[in-house]
Amino acid sequence: MSIPITLESVVFVYPDGTRALDGVDLRIGSGEQVAIVGQNGSGKSTLVRQLNGLLRPTEGRVLIDGTDAAALHVAQLAAKVGLAFQNPDRQIFAGRVRAEVAFGPRNLGRADADVERAVDEALEAVGLSRTGEANPYDLGYSRRKLLAIASILAMRTPVVILDEPTTGQDARGVARVRAIIERLSEEGRTVVTISHDMRFVAETARRIVVMRAGRIALDGTPAEVFAEPNWPALASTYLEPTLPARVGARLGLVGTPTEAALVEAIGASRPVG
Amino acid sequence: MTAGAGSAQAEGPQPPPASVRPRRPESAPPPRLPDYVLRQPHGTYHALNPTTKLVIAFAEAAIAFGVRGWIGPIAVLVVLAITAFAAGVARRMVPFALATIPLVISILLVNTLLYPGAHDVIVRVGPLAPTWSGLTAALQATLRVIAFALSAAILGLTTPTDDLLSDLERRGLGRRGTFVIGSAIRMVPRMGERASEITDSQRARGMDTQGSVLRRVRGVIPLAGPMIYGALTEVEEQTMALEARAFSAPARRTVIRVLPDSATQRIVRWVLFLGAIAAVAAEISGRLHLP
Amino acid sequence: MTLRLAAARYRYAGTPRDVLDRVDLEVAPGRVTGLVGANESGKSTVCLVASGLAPASIGGRLEGSVTMDGVETVTLAPHEHAQRCGVLFQNPTTQLSGTAVTVWEEVAFGPRNLGLDVPQIIERVEWALETLGIALLAPKDPVRLSGGQAQLVALASVLALRPAYLVLDEPTSQLDPQGTRLVGEALAGLAAETGTGILIVEHKTELLAAMAHDVVVLDAGRVALSGPAGGVLADPRLADLGVEPPAAVRLLRAIEAAGLARDAQLIAAVEQPVA
Repeated sequence: MSIPITLESVVFVYPDGTRALDGVDLRIGSGEQVAIVGQNGSGKSTLVRQLNGLLRPTEGRVLIDGTDAAALHVAQLAAKVGLAFQNPDRQIFAGRVRAEVAFGPRNLGRADADVERAVDEALEAVGLSRTGEANPYDLGYSRRKLLAIASILAMRTPVVILDEPTTGQDARGVARVRAIIERLSEEGRTVVTISHDMRFVAETARRIVVMRAGRIALDGTPAEVFAEPNWPALASTYLEPTLPARVGARLGLVGTPTEAALVEAIGASRPVG
Repeated sequence: MTAGAGSAQAEGPQPPPASVRPRRPESAPPPRLPDYVLRQPHGTYHALNPTTKLVIAFAEAAIAFGVRGWIGPIAVLVVLAITAFAAGVARRMVPFALATIPLVISILLVNTLLYPGAHDVIVRVGPLAPTWSGLTAALQATLRVIAFALSAAILGLTTPTDDLLSDLERRGLGRRGTFVIGSAIRMVPRMGERASEITDSQRARGMDTQGSVLRRVRGVIPLAGPMIYGALTEVEEQTMALEARAFSAPARRTVIRVLPDSATQRIVRWVLFLGAIAAVAAEISGRLHLP
Repeated sequence: MTLRLAAARYRYAGTPRDVLDRVDLEVAPGRVTGLVGANESGKSTVCLVASGLAPASIGGRLEGSVTMDGVETVTLAPHEHAQRCGVLFQNPTTQLSGTAVTVWEEVAFGPRNLGLDVPQIIERVEWALETLGIALLAPKDPVRLSGGQAQLVALASVLALRPAYLVLDEPTSQLDPQGTRLVGEALAGLAAETGTGILIVEHKTELLAAMAHDVVVLDAGRVALSGPAGGVLADPRLADLGVEPPAAVRLLRAIEAAGLARDAQLIAAVEQPVA
């Protein structure tokens, strides 16, 4: 269960005239795991809203699994592309955690037994299995956020988009989010994550797309995007390479976006002491 | 002052005491407010005192609704059109008039088709029987609604909220009263923003916003729930933020922008206020004495 | 002269248990104290208690002692707290009045509440804006600011009351990297130049490594670790307490764990500050 996404010269202009997307060509292959980064207003959120039809391109086309998204309703696209928004408080309405998570799959018309199973799995994935009967509003912000993610996971969509999943999460929460992404990826699903946290994307994503002023500024593996020649491009959109990438460059090493990669490169370059 | 106060200061550079802060040199000229805060309004209508404009809006709304028949709403619309052009905001009032369309349509339909006790049928179309009296009532109601919306619009377009609030406060409305009115006003644009975020979130989870009446009724809870919760938490946060800015200090708040006012305006306000009430009262008592 | 919590216990109104359990904490003038800990460990509650909003504005039960320059905060009215200790929350938009036409007037809101005369208000507003380096924003419409700018304006609005202390609850969590940097730099400058004592809750430990003098780690409402920032942020127990150590600490640890020599060149490469 995995499908590719293609954006062909997508332009999107808001009614007030803001050109949020200014010609985006992007292909995300089936089962790819991509992070989209860039400062606020660079077009990240506008871009992912094109993928489930909440926004429709002013020019250009969006293809979901080869089908022009223009031909599909939001409700149809919701079965293919799950999008977990940044602010959980803009969606939580149910009096019970389980009911909140069941909302999506029920809307998709799944059978009761399937819904129950999907809810169990989703709550287990985000670590909320034991709070199924709790009132969502009694949970702290970080757990409400995980609950919102679970409510998308339960829809079992081939594409999962997470908008800023790590904000407000502590170290355990961030590790939890990383595990969720890795698991989805192992299941072969296409995962797109929007994040401001460079360390997180360097360690989690297989591919990073950097947005600047409605266009794609950089696109590559973490090692490529954080390589020294790209630093000026990152700086132009107020992003910084990760510490291991900077340290690696100082030591004359290449391809060290993460601690693990740097340690390995150092080990290969000098005698063990 | 407290025991152990020095312990945290043991390491690191010694900071200057809190009282040592940059101050204006003695010789500097007395500070004056920047021009963008003083903001001399352009044009006669904009320059009216905010409370005068509020009273005008009140009088317009009262007459439009209180004086029955065609006279009230039409007279008010004529006055509104003249003031809107004079104030240079006529174009920007159009969206406010358009915003009444859904309400206008329902008024027209309901009254024309279902006016109680009317028998002067215009034309019979199947089970539908629109009446002349219904249509007349509907058109008058429509004009009243539009007049009301536009009287509020012209106030909003020519008066910064802060000016209106501080003028009302100066007149003795009190800090709490000002806060209640102010927070209601500032909630409006945020409500719109929040509503669209919530709708997006629920549609992304496959909620169908079209379809049968039953479906739509069931769709109200997922939309209203986060709306109410968001409003409550926001009010709580805002209340704390206001406390943190000394909102409950007992002193009289300083007025930095002295808003224009005059004896003439004071007279105009009383005349309009009492005049509108008198007109409505005369209308009502007139009705009461009719056989 | 300090802001001090001594054996502070606090429970929210209508709840059965204490969320703070004998918390000791001190913020001295000119120093930045970082407050970290896992989610729901009581960090935000410490902010409410330290700034005097709890219990004065939101109720609940406070035991132990919370003093500002020796004065018990429970004896002060909310507007008196506000002049001693400013407080800033995560969300910049709900902290702005929403009715001011310009940033200048937004910042003037607090001083106006105090009933100061106009020259004093002008001086305070301009001082607050200049101290944070945002004088250029003064004529702008507050609703048209970026997240980082709005947060700085909210901070200026609090600073205009000239508090000796500031309590900041995750002031950068809603901001992008640029906004985070803006706010971080402004805060570090503020402590150094004006002698304001700052207590800051922050998940981004890099920011604390760069600006905090001391760090306190909370765990389930208790102080688990506290001391000079360098020592606490490098403490091996940090990760177990749900706190991500700063990147440099993690990296040095990873290098060591891999059995690689921690030679001078390597350490210099890791610890060299970012240009």
